[in-house]
Amino acid sequence: MSGTKFDFYARKQSAHAHDHDHGHSPGSDHAGDAHTAIEVPREGPPSEFEIMSRAMQEILEAKGVITADQVRSRMEQFEEDLPYRGSRVVARAWLDPEFKQRLLEDGKAACAEMGIDLEADRLIAVENTPAVHNLIVCTLCSCYPRSLLGMPPSWYKSRNYRSRVVFEPRAVLREFGTVLPDRVTVRVHDSNADMRYLVIPLRPAGTEGWDEERLAEILTRDTLVGVTTPSGRR
Amino acid sequence: MSDQPMNKGPHDVGGESAAAVDTIDHGMSFWEKQANGLRSVLSGQRIVRIDELRRAAEDLGNQYSMLAYFERTTSALRTVLLEKGLITESELRAKMDEIRKRFNVPDEMESPLKNASQK
Repeated sequence: MSGTKFDFYARKQSAHAHDHDHGHSPGSDHAGDAHTAIEVPREGPPSEFEIMSRAMQEILEAKGVITADQVRSRMEQFEEDLPYRGSRVVARAWLDPEFKQRLLEDGKAACAEMGIDLEADRLIAVENTPAVHNLIVCTLCSCYPRSLLGMPPSWYKSRNYRSRVVFEPRAVLREFGTVLPDRVTVRVHDSNADMRYLVIPLRPAGTEGWDEERLAEILTRDTLVGVTTPSGRR
Repeated sequence: MSDQPMNKGPHDVGGESAAAVDTIDHGMSFWEKQANGLRSVLSGQRIVRIDELRRAAEDLGNQYSMLAYFERTTSALRTVLLEKGLITESELRAKMDEIRKRFNVPDEMESPLKNASQK
């Protein structure tokens, strides 16, 4: 799956053009059709919360507080853009020691160099070494570097992960198939709304000479949260 | 809340014992993506603040653990929009009725939230 990331990224522009064709199809020009334009097949009737969420959106649109297009383009961004940024940032850090230094010193400023605007006040990049492995959690809720990794996976938001990872990180890591030698220190970082973390994994052997794009492919979401470690492939 | 220390909210679970982590990412349904888009646009424009939404979710008390993630965030958004006067109870009720009719959803569908609002 990670192998398709950049193809998908490259196809983005043509996909967008396609979407816009749909947006201008007959019948969707007046405001009343704005909601039906993004309808998808569903299983069963909408839940109370789905109805509530939709109702809030429609009321705010009618009052001119937001537009349906704003919500739609934000959804697209969460699907197509945000999840692939973190791996580009860390791949660059692997290739460019000076960039890595800047990323470690001020994550927000380093991302801004790459044209990435982080919503949180601070991004703290934590670098794995042969002696230290870093792992990210938000025990209180779901704070996560969304501008770099997209939406958090369901396990990140789960009570079991949030509860346990702070006191038995090695046991949790084993559940992800990650077994670290006892001599490696595990550091768990608890995020909050103003301060997000990003793991810079240890660059594996066998990746010598790889370019940024190829390196980014092995820098999966899970490696940047720290629940797994990347491996060089043949 | 009964077995929680006084100052510990329902969200404050770090350090508690719990079962094994389900390491599969179950993704998000379409409505969840849309609800997330709505929340993100509103917070991005500083119409609502992340801290306000978090406080409203943490105030859910016993309901907190009964609701799924996006049910909590939707409930929290409702609280904050009502507090700020950006929507009213009656507007929301009327719009929800309209949407139920649009989707042929019978009104007898119950939810923890509906029950709570009748208290």
